[in-house]
Amino acid sequence: MASKFEPFHISLVANRYFIHDVDVITYIRREHHICGVLLGSIPQIPQQNVFLGAPLELMPEEARLLFEKGAAVVVDDLSLHKDAIAFLPHHVKHDYLRDLRDQGMIAGRGVQKRTEERKHKALERLGLQDPPTSGPCDTTAPKEEPLSNNAIDSLPYFDAPLVYNVTPPLSGRILPPTDQPTELKPPKVPFSYPLYEFLHAKGYFISPGLRFGCQYLVYPGDPLRFHSHFLAVGGAWDEEMDLLDIVGGGRLGTGVKKGFLIGGAETEEQACKGHASTPDVRVFCVEWGGM
Amino acid sequence: MPSAVFADSLPPQAVGDQKPAPRPPRTPRPNYARIHALPIPVKTYPLPTFVPNNPISLFHLAYTFFAHLLSAPPSHPQPCFEAYFSNETRSVHVADPATVRALWEQGFFGKGSLSRSEPTWMDREKRRRGLLAVETSEEVTQKRRAERRAFKKERARKEREAIEEKLREEGKLVNVQDGEEVHKPDVETQSHEGEPTEGGAVNGPVDALPAPEKAGFGEAGDAKKSVRFSESELHPRPLKNDASAARPTIGDDEPIVDQEHLQLTLEEALFLTYGLGTLRVRDEATGQLISTSSLFTMCRQHSYFPPKAIADLQPDDPFLISYVVYHHFRSLGWVVRSGIKFAVDYLLYNRGPVFSHAEFALIVLPSYSHPYWSEPSRKSQTVAKESKQWWWLHCVNRVQSQVRKNLVLVYVDIPPPSSLADLSGTVNITEALQCYRIREFSLKRWIPNRSRD
Repeated sequence: MASKFEPFHISLVANRYFIHDVDVITYIRREHHICGVLLGSIPQIPQQNVFLGAPLELMPEEARLLFEKGAAVVVDDLSLHKDAIAFLPHHVKHDYLRDLRDQGMIAGRGVQKRTEERKHKALERLGLQDPPTSGPCDTTAPKEEPLSNNAIDSLPYFDAPLVYNVTPPLSGRILPPTDQPTELKPPKVPFSYPLYEFLHAKGYFISPGLRFGCQYLVYPGDPLRFHSHFLAVGGAWDEEMDLLDIVGGGRLGTGVKKGFLIGGAETEEQACKGHASTPDVRVFCVEWGGM
Repeated sequence: MPSAVFADSLPPQAVGDQKPAPRPPRTPRPNYARIHALPIPVKTYPLPTFVPNNPISLFHLAYTFFAHLLSAPPSHPQPCFEAYFSNETRSVHVADPATVRALWEQGFFGKGSLSRSEPTWMDREKRRRGLLAVETSEEVTQKRRAERRAFKKERARKEREAIEEKLREEGKLVNVQDGEEVHKPDVETQSHEGEPTEGGAVNGPVDALPAPEKAGFGEAGDAKKSVRFSESELHPRPLKNDASAARPTIGDDEPIVDQEHLQLTLEEALFLTYGLGTLRVRDEATGQLISTSSLFTMCRQHSYFPPKAIADLQPDDPFLISYVVYHHFRSLGWVVRSGIKFAVDYLLYNRGPVFSHAEFALIVLPSYSHPYWSEPSRKSQTVAKESKQWWWLHCVNRVQSQVRKNLVLVYVDIPPPSSLADLSGTVNITEALQCYRIREFSLKRWIPNRSRD
């Protein structure tokens, strides 16, 4: 069932990972349990930052996980677009531009039609006769014409009375297909990646935890439905930890009714001792007693 | 003897719509203003005020002035406070009860080894045996915690009942008696009791981390929290008072020997020795007096584990950095105490913990701003010591906003080792400390949506 979207592009822009396609955003949330963080402001309500839309920013861990699953291809956004536009065949470019203009024309027609109807109604209400030259019934016939006309490029722009300039949200059509191999390396991840992978494999939803003062917020299901259960902090196995950090995390976690979770992957030697092929991840939960 | 709720704890939470039961009359507080009249264990003798319309006051003033000129009264305690340097605990111990009281009352130095902060073991022991009727602060806290726990249990019960009521209204809950179909938090926690949990606070090895149920969008009733609480949380321990009232323990007739001593941190000990000159520290094994300069070096060595050799000491020893900050704020008149319970380095009290809550929480951070440290060979090390994660700062900041303290980041500029180079032989502490600079940044959580006018 995954085949419709996979593999999709993860755009790398200034060392950050983005997904631009809304369908892919909903798809990875549903199938891969990856929510990311929506970043784009919504054009209809631009003066607020509570509700945000595409693009979606992924943590490096999330990008790495999708990459390793083979669900996504990481591409350098800038060079990809530059190459795609530089080497775009002439006919593809023309098709694309024409398509854009058609879309703009359809949108313009729609607006025009509505204006006419409004005008018509207003005149009827006043008891006046509609001028016969541009009735609403006329618009249907020429609507089909420019779409089917192959010689539209030769037509001057002002033939269409109102043409909107469409800004396409995605440029997927002019980009090369996603199954082409790219030379980009897998995303660089912090030490805590094994912990992330471990928790994700257990079925948890994981979001960045900066708001709560930890690395990951761990949800038992979709964050829209559940509160998070753990504040997770990952580290290397022999990494020295400040005792104050444990006190702080424990206090904070218990204060907001969550568990403070520390975890990390075992070292290679320990994995060999335990006859495990891959290093095991161990996690511990800290709870503050006196609150 | 003090009955006050200690300043370190959270302010009592509002109980919502419930009216709290009328409280029994409180025992009057001790006169803290008189007990803690001296802010540091050093006495001053100001001249009497001169009242112009009272000529006798002039004679009084003159008499006092000349009397002080001829034989000045002692400003420092006589004899000097004595303490022992303990290698094992890396702290300085004070055993003499009079000194312990004096150090606590005059400047809130140290911590009782068997108490939370004020050395009250003796009082608690007496109270346990029925010889003393006044509550200690530890008991007050314990009582408050028990009350809070009971309140939370009651609240959880009410919430559960409300949910069940709602479900019954919606017709989703038919048979309450079956109990198996319906998830009850109590049932859940009961089932966990049988399992052995490893340790008290750290529960659950790796296998025990529960996988969340498959997040299907099924019925809403199956949403349960998989966080488990340790045994102690599920079964609150009985109050000490009740236990002591019930059972007379062995050896109650024996005279009470004070088992407690005062522990001074190394910073406190050096401040009392070097800064105030009211303390003499002896070696625990030999009993020999430790000079101030060698105490300084010893403290620096013991800030590493295992203690470092003298030759390896650096200008960014943890002890040196924290002592600079301690000395700085003590000099400004603050009462500085350890802030480990709030995940910070120091807490600043205005007059002392018995008077008010701590106002500020300090985090001490080294700052390698001198060009010496930015040379390529040292850069990587200093960057590693300086850099902290953003989430760490948010964590600390949130903890402080929970307990209503102002977070202050205290940056200590580390001088190059060359400025302390002549210290290897005879240590001049004053010159060493003068090389350090301190910068303070106050930090507050600011949420645009809530802080809007």
